[in-house]
Amino acid sequence: MTDLVDALDTRGTVSSALRAVGSFKLLRESWVGMIGTGIIGFWVVIALLAPLIAPFDPNTPLQPFAKPLTEYATGDGTFWLGTDHLGRDILSRVIWGSRTVLFYAPLATASAYFVGILMGLAAGYYRGRIDEFLSFLANVILSFPVLVLYILVITTIGSSGINIIIAITFASAPGIMRIVRGLVLDLRNRDYVAAAQTRGESSWFIMLVEILPNARGPLIVDSCLRLGYVVITIGVLGFLGLGLPPPAPDWGGMINEARSIALAFPHMTVIPCIAISTLVLGFNLLADGLREISLRD
Amino acid sequence: MIIFILRRLGIMALTMVVVSVMLFLLLEFTPGNVATKVLGPYSSEEQRTLWLEAHGYFEPLWVRYFSWLGNFVTGDFGESVRFKVPVAEVLWPRLWNTVVLGFWVFVVMIPLSLLLGVLAGMREGSALDRSISVTSIITTSIPEFASAVFLAAIFVFWLGLLPGTSTMTGGFDWWQLVLPVMVLVIYDFGYVARMTRASMAEVMTTPYIRTAILKGLPYRRVIMRHALRNALIAPFTVIMLQINWLLSGVIVVEFFFAYKGFGALLLEASLNQDIYLIEACAMVAVFVAAATQTFADIGYTYLNPRIRFS
Amino acid sequence: MSRKSSKSMHPYVPELKELLRNGKFSRRDFLSTATRLGVSLSAAYAMAGGVLGLCASTVARAAAPKAGGILRCSMNVKEMTDPATYDWSEKGNLARHMTEPLVRINKDNLAEPYLAETWEASEDLKTWTFKLRKGVKWSNGDDFIADDVVFNFERWLDPATGSSNQGRFSSMTRQIDTGKKDKEGKPVMSTVAAEGAIEKIDDHTVRFHLNRADISLPEALGDYPALIVHRRFSDEGGDLSKNPVGTGPFTLTKYSVGEVAEYRRRTDHPWWGGDVYLDGIVYIDHGDDPGPTIAAFASGQIDCNYRTSVEQVPSLKTIPNLVTYETVTAQTGVARMKITEAPFDNKLVRKAIQACMDHTKLLELAYQNFGAPGEDHHVSPIHPEYFKLPPLTQDYALAKKLLADAGYANGLKVRIDCVANPTWEQTAVKVIAEMCRPAGIEVVINIMPGGTYWDRWMTTPFGFTSWTHRALGVQVLNLAYRSGVAWNETSYSNPEFDRLLDEAGAILDPRERSKVMKKLETILQDDTIIIQPFWRSEFLTATNKVRNMYCQVASESHFNKVWLG
Repeated sequence: MTDLVDALDTRGTVSSALRAVGSFKLLRESWVGMIGTGIIGFWVVIALLAPLIAPFDPNTPLQPFAKPLTEYATGDGTFWLGTDHLGRDILSRVIWGSRTVLFYAPLATASAYFVGILMGLAAGYYRGRIDEFLSFLANVILSFPVLVLYILVITTIGSSGINIIIAITFASAPGIMRIVRGLVLDLRNRDYVAAAQTRGESSWFIMLVEILPNARGPLIVDSCLRLGYVVITIGVLGFLGLGLPPPAPDWGGMINEARSIALAFPHMTVIPCIAISTLVLGFNLLADGLREISLRD
Repeated sequence: MIIFILRRLGIMALTMVVVSVMLFLLLEFTPGNVATKVLGPYSSEEQRTLWLEAHGYFEPLWVRYFSWLGNFVTGDFGESVRFKVPVAEVLWPRLWNTVVLGFWVFVVMIPLSLLLGVLAGMREGSALDRSISVTSIITTSIPEFASAVFLAAIFVFWLGLLPGTSTMTGGFDWWQLVLPVMVLVIYDFGYVARMTRASMAEVMTTPYIRTAILKGLPYRRVIMRHALRNALIAPFTVIMLQINWLLSGVIVVEFFFAYKGFGALLLEASLNQDIYLIEACAMVAVFVAAATQTFADIGYTYLNPRIRFS
Repeated sequence: MSRKSSKSMHPYVPELKELLRNGKFSRRDFLSTATRLGVSLSAAYAMAGGVLGLCASTVARAAAPKAGGILRCSMNVKEMTDPATYDWSEKGNLARHMTEPLVRINKDNLAEPYLAETWEASEDLKTWTFKLRKGVKWSNGDDFIADDVVFNFERWLDPATGSSNQGRFSSMTRQIDTGKKDKEGKPVMSTVAAEGAIEKIDDHTVRFHLNRADISLPEALGDYPALIVHRRFSDEGGDLSKNPVGTGPFTLTKYSVGEVAEYRRRTDHPWWGGDVYLDGIVYIDHGDDPGPTIAAFASGQIDCNYRTSVEQVPSLKTIPNLVTYETVTAQTGVARMKITEAPFDNKLVRKAIQACMDHTKLLELAYQNFGAPGEDHHVSPIHPEYFKLPPLTQDYALAKKLLADAGYANGLKVRIDCVANPTWEQTAVKVIAEMCRPAGIEVVINIMPGGTYWDRWMTTPFGFTSWTHRALGVQVLNLAYRSGVAWNETSYSNPEFDRLLDEAGAILDPRERSKVMKKLETILQDDTIIIQPFWRSEFLTATNKVRNMYCQVASESHFNKVWLG
């Protein structure tokens, strides 16, 4: 019953999604998806080239409270987007911040998928007691408003990169598990599964080699959406002061640090907000494009 | 149907029990920490031991848990460390404030998202559909804290049209509600609109709607009489489940606008290790979320004849 | 002696006036020193005014005040049950408009008579006599009398109250054996009031008998936990928010913890201190974060705040009609090293970190140059007994050498704990960390929310602690660096230091005391148990409608003479 939303989210049936997704040729059919890919590509390039294109070191205090386009007093360059209250160049921090987020977001999402997929495969394939237990556990965790869960976990175990990954995994794996479980319940009665069972393959071999690749379509759509949401989560945690410890340039943290002075220096908060929003938009557009294609067939 | 409802309620009760165990273990596993949190960093070892003794912390863990749970279900949540008043005295007024905020969010969001969703879903693939879809993707991509920053910059600092904080200390004030509601609606409406659109689009492809249109019934009448009724079943559930999301959203919004609600209370309690307040807030949050979910399931089953009779 | 309201003038006073006239002394230094030499505060203000060509009354008031209006102030509305147990200046401010202290620390960091009209000390500084103000009425109709003061003192010194005043007035306490034994079999000791320490002479005179000389007694009476409650406070429930009885000009009319506190001017009896202009005061809680306060200013929802953080100063300047008040204080923060924990048990490591610091630059980068550079000995230039030591300089070659000598030639990695709010603490730590980097010391910053941080501020090997303003240098040193005291966060223990501190504590004349302070400062600076980046200014912001406002050194809200133009 509670799978209703998941069902709507992944309304495209498994088989049609399978045919569509994962092929970049088809992606060209969706201009929405193209734009999404473009935005993500932009940030990935920025992140990769950060050491080359960032005009200053992101953590060195240079000249506090410079407005955008101010020349550095020493004549060593321009603060295109201004500096923050400590005199750190905002453009450089946004550029390096893209590394932070594009490192932690995929890592956390992957970790959540790893746990969620294993749980979902086990629940959907074995069914019975295991399924009941795992589904109940997932329901319990999903009954927490997600930010409440993050706040509880982070204030208890402390805020650090690894703890953020742990918290995101903890909070997201149950949702992934439910989707995977639903897909597995559908796929486990297919002929090729029966064939593998007759061959005497082990359960985990069947789950990982036979079932999982065939379930990848909806999962790819979901993972794009989830990546976007994880980017938001990392931002929110930074914004609430529970994010990555300084001096790591972190977009959410930048907003949090500058928020009390946003009035006189709106660039300090607006720029990282734009950065986060565009990256999330990229993931959401891509997800929408992929879904659109999967529905079309 | 009654069996189904009882079953759902049973699952919900069980969920709450498991959540309470998790919370209790998370926050009260080490009594020494509890004493430090309650008595403060300046307390002496002697004071802490006396306190622990007086409050039964030398009992076994399960005894403590059941006495805690017993107090909890009878409404005795303990005393807030930071405010030095019973937790209930702070919690209920704050929760009410959040209910008020949430109510107005829904009042604005539901008609807006249903209207947009229905308009988009009526003619799938039309220009209107496309633009509504893209708009809703964009708005759901802007997290609450970012739209709060943008809107505050425009309406508070630049135009000076709206108040920048919503403490409501001088009594209820409509103007102070505008920005928090706006931020939450912007983030949430897109999702509901898209769900409505999907549901509407599905209904529009069903044979009986096609038949009705082919029969020459006026388009307006087909939509109003036949399509809407069926298309709005799914959004009903989605809207109920939005309450869970809203509980996350209000934390950010209340923190940003200093609105004296439940979310800000929970956040500040967590940051200040006000443990009895954290426990009460978290339990209430989960209860609200679990209750709406249960209600959504029951409602969906009731509204959807296909499921009810199968 | 200096604390007497003596008629005869101290021989040094004329010389002081001369120093003020030729600019060698600032007005503030003059006021501080003159009052310590026994000149009454109003006389000192008059002298300063005379020397500098200002009339004392014009200093206090420029235009005719207008009565009426409600002052809306942004501040955390914390719990306010019992003033004796307060641990935040916000709580003190909530109670301050109703309950008042015997002595108030005024805007110039001077102890000013409040409910106590005068006081004098014996030659040996062990017997202090306080004359109480007459004609002061409690809001329940009772007269304010010596019994009130005696009740408060007995309550403060009772271990069951759990008041920090017990430490503040430790010269009136003694240790007793409770008869119980702890786990190791040692007797459990308890601190109680010394017999006969508090003596009521008549209805308006109390005398305190100290078991050691204490020059800071008046200043200690000006701290926020020393607000005087009614003699039946405990009998009537012991909760100020529920039973707001006080001598002050306002009474509490609405209180909702974490949200709002409202006061109205008392009408039952005129306030002893003369005219009060405001009709009422409202404190509005905007949460722990400073962001909403700015938004509230921008949209005209408040008239002032209780404290402005330094990062907000440039931002608030851009809002028209706002005035930011600054005051240099003895408030500070210290990156303190626990000398019992590795690697800080090695003095060379501590000195290496010190050698990396450029205190002037620290003030500039981390506190926008509002304040004074620190000197790693926790005695402030505004303390009357301050002695100026040669400045510390940044020397990376020395730092590297010290580090190598300590056995960390390949660099050192340490972790510092820091609380998330207020943010200037993080900022200071970030700059300290950046300054350490070139010497090969990597400082990892561990920022924690308040609750978590305060669990370990005493025990962490390396942590950043903020210290509030205290009027005298010896007060701070006694609280934080004397062997074995409760707040000795560095575990510092040095018998020679303790002895000198006793010696300094028995000298009234600040110039004489500063000679001993020179030794104390040198010892602390050389042992390098703290890196003290700066002394920070405090700020508060108000609209230009708010008159007669100032920023008090300990962020106390002094609104009794504020009016709205």
